Amino acid sequence: MSESIAARFHDGLTAEVHLVGLIHEAGALVIRAGDGAELGRWATADLFAMHGRKDELRLGANGQPTGARVVVKGREDVARVLATLPVLHQKRRQQAGREIRIAVTATVALAAVILAYLYGVPLLAGRITALVPPDWERSLGETVARQMQASLGDESGFQVCDSNPDSLANRAIARFGAAALEGSGSPFELDIRVVKSDIPNAFALPGGQVFFFSALLDQAETQDEFAGVLAHEVGHVAHRHGMEQLISTAGTGALIGFILGDMTGISVAAGLGATIIDARFSRDAERQADAFAGHVAERMDFNPAGLADLINRVGADDEFARALALLSTHPLTDDRKAALEILSQQRPAGLEPPFTSAEWNAIRAMCGAPDPKTKRK
Amino acid sequence: MVWGQERPVPVKFTGKRGELAAMLLRGYVLLIPTIGLYRFWLTTWKRRFYWANTEIDGDPLEYTGNAIQLLLGFLMALAVFVPLYGLFFYLSTQSSEAAIVGYSGVAVLVWFLMGYAIYRARDFRLSRTLWRGIRCDQGGSAWGYAIRRFFWSLLVLATAGLAYPFMAANLWAYRYRHSWYGDRQFGFTGSWRQLARPFYVSYVAIALIAAAGLGTGWAMGGVPVSGVPSVGGVVVMVIAVALIGLLVLYYQSREISRMFSSVRLGQAALAVSVRARSLVGQYVLFGLALAGSYVVLAIGGLVVLGSVASGAFAGGEFDLQVFMQNLQGSFSVLLAIVFGYLLLLGAFSLMVELFLGLGFWKLVAQGASITGLDSLRDVKARGEDARLGGEGLADALNVGAY
Ligand SMILES: [Zn+2]
Repeated sequence: MSESIAARFHDGLTAEVHLVGLIHEAGALVIRAGDGAELGRWATADLFAMHGRKDELRLGANGQPTGARVVVKGREDVARVLATLPVLHQKRRQQAGREIRIAVTATVALAAVILAYLYGVPLLAGRITALVPPDWERSLGETVARQMQASLGDESGFQVCDSNPDSLANRAIARFGAAALEGSGSPFELDIRVVKSDIPNAFALPGGQVFFFSALLDQAETQDEFAGVLAHEVGHVAHRHGMEQLISTAGTGALIGFILGDMTGISVAAGLGATIIDARFSRDAERQADAFAGHVAERMDFNPAGLADLINRVGADDEFARALALLSTHPLTDDRKAALEILSQQRPAGLEPPFTSAEWNAIRAMCGAPDPKTKRK
Repeated sequence: MVWGQERPVPVKFTGKRGELAAMLLRGYVLLIPTIGLYRFWLTTWKRRFYWANTEIDGDPLEYTGNAIQLLLGFLMALAVFVPLYGLFFYLSTQSSEAAIVGYSGVAVLVWFLMGYAIYRARDFRLSRTLWRGIRCDQGGSAWGYAIRRFFWSLLVLATAGLAYPFMAANLWAYRYRHSWYGDRQFGFTGSWRQLARPFYVSYVAIALIAAAGLGTGWAMGGVPVSGVPSVGGVVVMVIAVALIGLLVLYYQSREISRMFSSVRLGQAALAVSVRARSLVGQYVLFGLALAGSYVVLAIGGLVVLGSVASGAFAGGEFDLQVFMQNLQGSFSVLLAIVFGYLLLLGAFSLMVELFLGLGFWKLVAQGASITGLDSLRDVKARGEDARLGGEGLADALNVGAY
């Protein structure tokens, strides 16, 4: 930079434009006006480059007014200045390094939060669930049921198979539920409803409501299978898994909102009730419910492994939608089936079966004759 | 010398679409490993691009903000949103009636907060805008602006939109009369009178077209109570909607032109002319670009799916059941679906930025000219404005423009 380079200069004090020449001498950038008057002398070590357009270099300096700028235009002149002032490259690298460190730190912190969240929320959800008043959970269960009926059923909601609560089938189911729940210390009263639906599924909502879909009942071949699934769902009620799940989902929604940076996405929370049937319970929850069913089978004569048979049968069905419907709420692993079989071997002898054969026939008939289309081949 | 009689100086925009596209694509890719945190850097780069390429009388603007400020602002905004989120969750568990009342309350609160966020975000951007070494700034009160905007919008709602020109002029005036360039305060000479004509003409025309289009479409069976809608009815309604869209854009072009042209800075005056047809052109271009990018993605997606679930395409025919079985339980397919979703989202926001964001900025910048620029030479710098930590609330509420 032996000859001076043309530049524009703003002193950062007034909005004036000075057309100047730049010279690098004695460790400083000297800014001279057209008439030779010195407008500024910026020490090289104080210089920094701002981000500007391509082929434009905007320089500022520490110790100068914050807006003070020297602007060099044109590829050649910019290259000459950069070659003379390697400190600019250095500073930019330092700045980039600082930003990268901050970005990496923030990302690691966020990843840590997510991990803590994924592992912590299920643990925490259990704790929080224990604090939720049963009354609150009950009214919440009703809201969820309404939202779910709106999304799954038609306008009138689910069609209950047998609307008479005193019918043989409904009385038998209620008695089984109450017997299963007995001794668990649950504050809830069960409300088990068998409803018409083409989806082979069964699930428990917060507050003690259990829905059993007719398509699943149609596929049950023995009362072991039916009682097994029902006892498993009662287990979900006793362990308050629905409430736990709801709290986890809400937490996850908040996390997703944070990652996407759009907190207006909190409207996701509005559809919470609808998502509960899609969201699978955790594996631990399923194991707990299976174990619960196993303990129920120590008091009544049914084989809890029937639960695995029924789920397996529905899962093996070739219609993708049905398989998905059940598998997503009840992920079945070989471990789980094996555990159920072990449980079924530990049962004492001489127990009463859960349903009399008249009751079981009434239950099988409560939704009318199975639709041949949904009947398994 | 008589100010205001010199020739107007046109504003120039020198940015290239390709440059922005490269920056955005790089940014989108970096969003993945940073779990979304790179968005603060992306926003900063984007602003540097817009500012640095907007040149007034030989000197471009300079954006002096950085990503760390945005990150901190967002963290602060979380403090507002975490309790709000808890409230939302609580409401979703209540009975329907209570939930609806609760949601409405939260929606009103968010609408109010948006006014605050918009004003703070503008403050952040202005106070980080440098031209000729002098910083801009914004005074006024963000809560005051939020209250104004809130009650004006209630009035607009109550009058079925008729009060809109009054609200628009009032808010434009509030924003500009509290803006500063160095020690010089901006002024605003616009009023609702300049908006009244285009607004009420568009208003009446839209009402007539909506009534006529809906009526005719209905009569022709475009919205049957049951069964398939008739083609004629649907066509009539689509035409009506398109016409309404054109009218909205026409009004927007008038509001932008007339309100920007009312901005003064001492003896300097801004004049902006944005044509309705240029605005329409941006949207047409956007539509074509979006359709094009989706066609490309769809072809790419089919190729990928074909290789992942090749069995479904065996024998030249597509077998849905085999395809679904292939999908089941395959982790790579799940990954492909997530990736495909991100691609669709990315393509959409890329086209929005390239054709609507950039297009709009270019239209305004290239349609702008300034008279009396020489009067600004004696503007002096004002003290620093360090109180802004960022514009977190705006980011969180998704109102941050550019
Ligand atoms: Zn289960």
